[in-house]
Amino acid sequence: MTAQPDASPPAPVDVSLGIGKLLVVPSLIGGLVALTLGIYGGLHHPTGVVVNIAGFSSAGYVKSWLATIATVFAIVQVGSALVMYGKIPHVTAPSWIGRLHQWSGRIAFLLAVPVAVNCLYGLGFQTYSTRVLIHSVLGCAFFGAFTIKMLILPKRGLPGWALPLAGAVVFTLLVAIWFTSAFWFFSTFGLHR
Amino acid sequence: MEWLLWSGNLRYYPRYEGRPDCVQLGMKPTMPLVTLLAGAALGVGVLIASTLSPANAASASGYGATSAASATGAVKPASASSAAGGAGAGAGGASAPAPATTSATAPATAPGTGPATAPGTAPATTPGTAPGTVPATAPGTAPAATASVPKADIPPKADYVARTDSGGGAVAISVHGGQAVAYMCNGHAVAAWLKGTAKAGKLELTGKNGARLDVSYRTGKATGSIMADGTKYNFSAPLVHRGSSGHRPPGLYEATATVHGVKIKAGWVVLPGGSQVGSVEYFADSAIAPTAQAPVLNLTTGTAQYDGVTLVASLISGLTGSGF
Repeated sequence: MTAQPDASPPAPVDVSLGIGKLLVVPSLIGGLVALTLGIYGGLHHPTGVVVNIAGFSSAGYVKSWLATIATVFAIVQVGSALVMYGKIPHVTAPSWIGRLHQWSGRIAFLLAVPVAVNCLYGLGFQTYSTRVLIHSVLGCAFFGAFTIKMLILPKRGLPGWALPLAGAVVFTLLVAIWFTSAFWFFSTFGLHR
Repeated sequence: MEWLLWSGNLRYYPRYEGRPDCVQLGMKPTMPLVTLLAGAALGVGVLIASTLSPANAASASGYGATSAASATGAVKPASASSAAGGAGAGAGGASAPAPATTSATAPATAPGTGPATAPGTAPATTPGTAPGTVPATAPGTAPAATASVPKADIPPKADYVARTDSGGGAVAISVHGGQAVAYMCNGHAVAAWLKGTAKAGKLELTGKNGARLDVSYRTGKATGSIMADGTKYNFSAPLVHRGSSGHRPPGLYEATATVHGVKIKAGWVVLPGGSQVGSVEYFADSAIAPTAQAPVLNLTTGTAQYDGVTLVASLISGLTGSGF
């Protein structure tokens, strides 16, 4: 249900046992989060009922816009990460870049949470079409991957690739989720509130 | 953008001096955990709010964008049908609210209160009959028709279905007493519901976006054309005879539901022999409803699966009066 090939970053050949230890527990916890969400979405009988926000024509639009804003913040995440890692030529990381990265990430995550709750509570883990199946799997995987990223973030002695990989996986998952939901929704029903 | 991160061998990824772990960025090591827990708390909060949502009690409110139309029919939880199958949630308890409500509405309960006028929350602000809609002409009004078709030829209770001569579509006309409903779709983007009256040998049916019907009756047959989405489709539709028992008879079927917050209206023309043509309209209350292929209507159960929701189709039959 929640196959997570991305849960544990591929270990390089020369990885020391210490690094493995650093990553294993967060990966397991992240996998557990994803599985829990998927199983809940599968077992809970979807109600179709969610909290709506005034000003939007339907819950679908609320979710689509929240997801879209979260994705925009996720793009800020990648941009700021690239700056932090010195990957943008001729751009030195300003002092506030860390704060930007942290807050854009927090906002994106906190925007995504109600969307996910609405999905899982109102619609559940569904498989009736390829788009929906992909969305369900990746949606659960996203929160697992995000959990892993958050858990490994404070750890010292991580290999240099660990955080970029985790961040890239989280970002890729979010964009894929957005494409299979909000993008589809807007292109099917029109771009408005 | 992302590829930049991957350029080069990851194992020799440059250990940038100020590696942006949280400590170097002046963040407390517990902050990521706090973020996670805040997200979890928010999630639980939204979950509880959803559980306590007053809308939850009235399952008919569906996903937040329902219209009054769904209240007119029998609300049937999607899980009630054992044929639901495909929904990953499986067969839940019958007490749980359905993922969306499916209601079989009677579209022609009163002339003039069609789906177009239902006060839905769909985005379009101009529901209603499109200006310029001309009531369908009936036999007798056209000079050519007068000669061959007497006015009294309209049976008071009759159903007609046929494929259109071109365009891969099908048309159904149901007449019951003084009321009439017609539907034309092509199984894809074209669908038009028309309704109106059958009075004094005349059918006056109107629909959205200039949909109109020109029909003349011959013995056991309705011949004419239907205008839908700006295209004219000719047809010659025989009277429907009741089909074999155990299967749904040929005729016009309709189902409405709210799926993912969107009101949909599906229509199927089931032809003698069991073949069918169906289209589904999204935002069924809006003036211009996006239309696509309808899911296959199961003629044994009278249901169709749409995005994990069981649509329960109702027959609009002039012969029996069902759906009127």
